Amino acid sequence: MEKLIYALMSDYAKSGHLASLISSAKGISDSSLYVISGGGLNAIVSDVNKSEFVADKSVAIDYANVIETFFTHFSLLPMRFGSIMESPEAVKAMLENNSPEIQQNLGKVAGKFEFGLKIICDSEILKAKLLAKSDFLSKTEKPSDGQTTTSVFRDYVNKKLAEHRLEELMLAHVETLIAALTASLGSLNSINKFRKMLTDNTIVDAIFLIDKEKKSDLIDLIAEIQNDNPGLTFFLTGPWPPYSFVDVTIK
Amino acid sequence: MNDNKILFNTGSLDDLSQEVAKLTDNDESKLKLSPDNADSGLAKLVLTLIELIRKLVEKQAMRRVDGGSLTDEEIERLGETLMKLELKMEELKKHFNLTDRDLNINLGPLGDLM
Repeated sequence: MEKLIYALMSDYAKSGHLASLISSAKGISDSSLYVISGGGLNAIVSDVNKSEFVADKSVAIDYANVIETFFTHFSLLPMRFGSIMESPEAVKAMLENNSPEIQQNLGKVAGKFEFGLKIICDSEILKAKLLAKSDFLSKTEKPSDGQTTTSVFRDYVNKKLAEHRLEELMLAHVETLIAALTASLGSLNSINKFRKMLTDNTIVDAIFLIDKEKKSDLIDLIAEIQNDNPGLTFFLTGPWPPYSFVDVTIK
Repeated sequence: MNDNKILFNTGSLDDLSQEVAKLTDNDESKLKLSPDNADSGLAKLVLTLIELIRKLVEKQAMRRVDGGSLTDEEIERLGETLMKLELKMEELKKHFNLTDRDLNINLGPLGDLM
């Protein structure tokens, strides 16, 4: 039977504690969990029949819950949902062949949690606020020959130019916000990743990798930045396994 | 998401759910090809690519206008071209019964196309 892999961790993980967690926790569809070791690493796995494996939302949630059970106790690398190998030997070979890269990634996330931050705005209100602060949009392209009337084509360009400038204003505002976040997070020695302007309203989607014990400092810091930006809605979530900070290409 | 995973929240969970849904529920942007809809499925794919290129061209053009490097005549010609491109796209969307939402694709770190 094939093996579904949930997470990888160092084999230095306290074996007694790991064994008790393995025996008390269950994999997807109530399957039994066990450990396959190789290359100085442990893989948490369960048996799965690949042809019957259904990759739906509820199975994905069960899969994530298994990873959650272990990540609060051990530094681990979560595997991508649906990582299946054909045999225990294949899992062992994968661990041995990729050990240096996996160990390096484990070192990066050791003792750290991932946190997510979404900053959401009412884009119409924010745009109006930015417009009120700027005379940027009042400058339109007029013919240089002194003509007072403009053509329909020039009007069209001016309309598009106004939209373009408003987008640039929004982007500059978001960049400023990200710069403020980055500067503040410096004190927490975090590793950060930012995505901006995902939708009209979600202007920042950030993830941070931070020492476990700095969780409350992070909450205080985000609260402070929110105070400086009362028109924006902040959602800070976590702690999560380091899903966004695993950088291993399995050979 | 468990409530205990939300560490700091200044809005309603409905707002968050709506935004997360926008990022994940992109059913309209999926290409669904079948023998019955080969024409419209292919049209959707092609028009999405054309729209992506049109938006990029428009953006670059506005950068050039903003940079002040174009003459009056060039701006006029540019306006006429962009306007005709937009009108032609509207015609094509109407012809294939497609909306802006159908042509929207998520460009990853760049956000949505539309």
